[in-house]
Amino acid sequence: MIRVVVIDDHPALRAGLHTVLDAEPGIVFAGESDGSEESVWPLLKRTQPDLALLDYHLPHGDGLQLCYRIKQAIPAPKVIVFSAYAGPALTLPATLARADGLLDKGVPARDLFEAIRLVNRGERLIDAPSRTVLEEAQGRLDAEDLPLLAMLLDGTPEREIANVLRREPKDVQHAVQRILGRLRLDVPARRG
Amino acid sequence: MEVVHGLIARLWHSSEARWLVLYVILRLSACSMAVALELWAGLTSHKVVMLLYGPLSTIVLAASPKLRQSRAAWAFDYLVTLGLIVESGDWRSPYYMLWLAALALPAAYLPLRSAIWLGLGAPVSFLLVAILGRPSPGSLGVFSTETLAIHLWLPILLVGAIAYVRETLRRLGDERSERERLAIEAERRRIAWELHDSAKQRLHAAHLLVSSLSGRVEEPLAKTVARAAVELESAASDMDASLAELRSPLEGARLHDALRKRAEELSPDGHPHISVVGDAPHLPPLIAAHVYRIGSEAITNALRHADASKIDVRIAQEDGALWLQISDDGRGFPDERRPGANGLFAMESRAATLGAQLELESGAGGTTIELRVPLDQNGVST
Repeated sequence: MIRVVVIDDHPALRAGLHTVLDAEPGIVFAGESDGSEESVWPLLKRTQPDLALLDYHLPHGDGLQLCYRIKQAIPAPKVIVFSAYAGPALTLPATLARADGLLDKGVPARDLFEAIRLVNRGERLIDAPSRTVLEEAQGRLDAEDLPLLAMLLDGTPEREIANVLRREPKDVQHAVQRILGRLRLDVPARRG
Repeated sequence: MEVVHGLIARLWHSSEARWLVLYVILRLSACSMAVALELWAGLTSHKVVMLLYGPLSTIVLAASPKLRQSRAAWAFDYLVTLGLIVESGDWRSPYYMLWLAALALPAAYLPLRSAIWLGLGAPVSFLLVAILGRPSPGSLGVFSTETLAIHLWLPILLVGAIAYVRETLRRLGDERSERERLAIEAERRRIAWELHDSAKQRLHAAHLLVSSLSGRVEEPLAKTVARAAVELESAASDMDASLAELRSPLEGARLHDALRKRAEELSPDGHPHISVVGDAPHLPPLIAAHVYRIGSEAITNALRHADASKIDVRIAQEDGALWLQISDDGRGFPDERRPGANGLFAMESRAATLGAQLELESGAGGTTIELRVPLDQNGVST
């Protein structure tokens, strides 16, 4: 049984996922949250899910920042970033946020179940960021962040990165969050 | 009376007509003062010919908007009225007011800088006439010299005032259209957000629900479920296309630049190769937007369904029409229309809105879509 929580600000999508996940044998819908701080952490604590389906565009903040923080938890659930914009540009920040999968919201239910099973088994479902995406990201980041970026993409653990850069692990985490902020994809502004 | 009131109301409605009425009143009042002064002094046949210029030129100028904007006509009017002053034998001439009136059009239509030069140049030319003609300014008493000063100062005042007002109106108009543009943009962003925030999420939810049924229902229902899933998927991708265009519409960019940019967005790695050749004339925003969306829809169709390796977009202007051609080397349209082929329907209805012809030729060698938009009917000067 794979226990899945859904973190998405849209009630219709949460309800849809609830119905769909419950109908699939082997997968259980364990709970839902609209992505706000007050509901996400109690939900994770209470349900201890195997996997979280996480929306990228959350009104209260960045889904990837949240993903990064969820992955700091011990033990951390697997996280699939479930986005309406799961294009190539999202592969880099999703990798940095240590997401386990990246999935477009437009996929049929069968593919979603498949992805949940694969990720739960320990596979990573994010394409390596393409050359174009990396070049574009370089333009948005400070030069001092680039070595950090390279090590993160190599899969170097944060403790080791902190050693190499002679910084505190906490500073490295802050740097990652800053990079995620810089790489945030533009969405239509809420108002005006 | 009703008819007259209606006519006046209609005239007053358009600011251009209002300005024309004022201009005609200005000229005719100058003419009638000249007539009154000449009558006072005693008419001769020579003077009657000179007096005729005023009303005749006013009629011609009132009738032809083109002449009112023509620099040659302004120069002609200016020189003839100055000539009338010389011919009348005294710079304190009955035709002075008509000469002043001749300054009004260039003052209104010239850019501010040129209008200032006109305001300074006009008194200089009048001073020359006064010095060359009679009575010579040096021989006058103080009262007549003051009259000359007024004669020299009035054109500065007139040209300055008109040019200033026109410039202010121009700026107000620019600001208003800028404000409107910003308001439209904000509204568009709001709609884009709402579409994304709610409608698109619901579509995704519906798609998930429907697609979860596949494999769980028996024929013939399975076919229906599969078809419904495909439709929902297409609806989501249609909405993506609309959202992208709502967020980055034409916004004053020229049609060919916008299509080039769209081609780059749609095929960032150059596969298939999309070329956009030719330039479009300046188009009213509505026409540009429709043509742009027809063009980008055609490119999207070729990318999505034709499996093409090369897409050529050509833009040209000929015989008072805009011509847009999108051709690909893909597998062509299916003989039977797909039930979900809304793209082609949308293109056809857009073309109909513009009074344009849309032709589609499709075969084994690819698809060619040709659009001809008549420009003169659509208010574009060609």
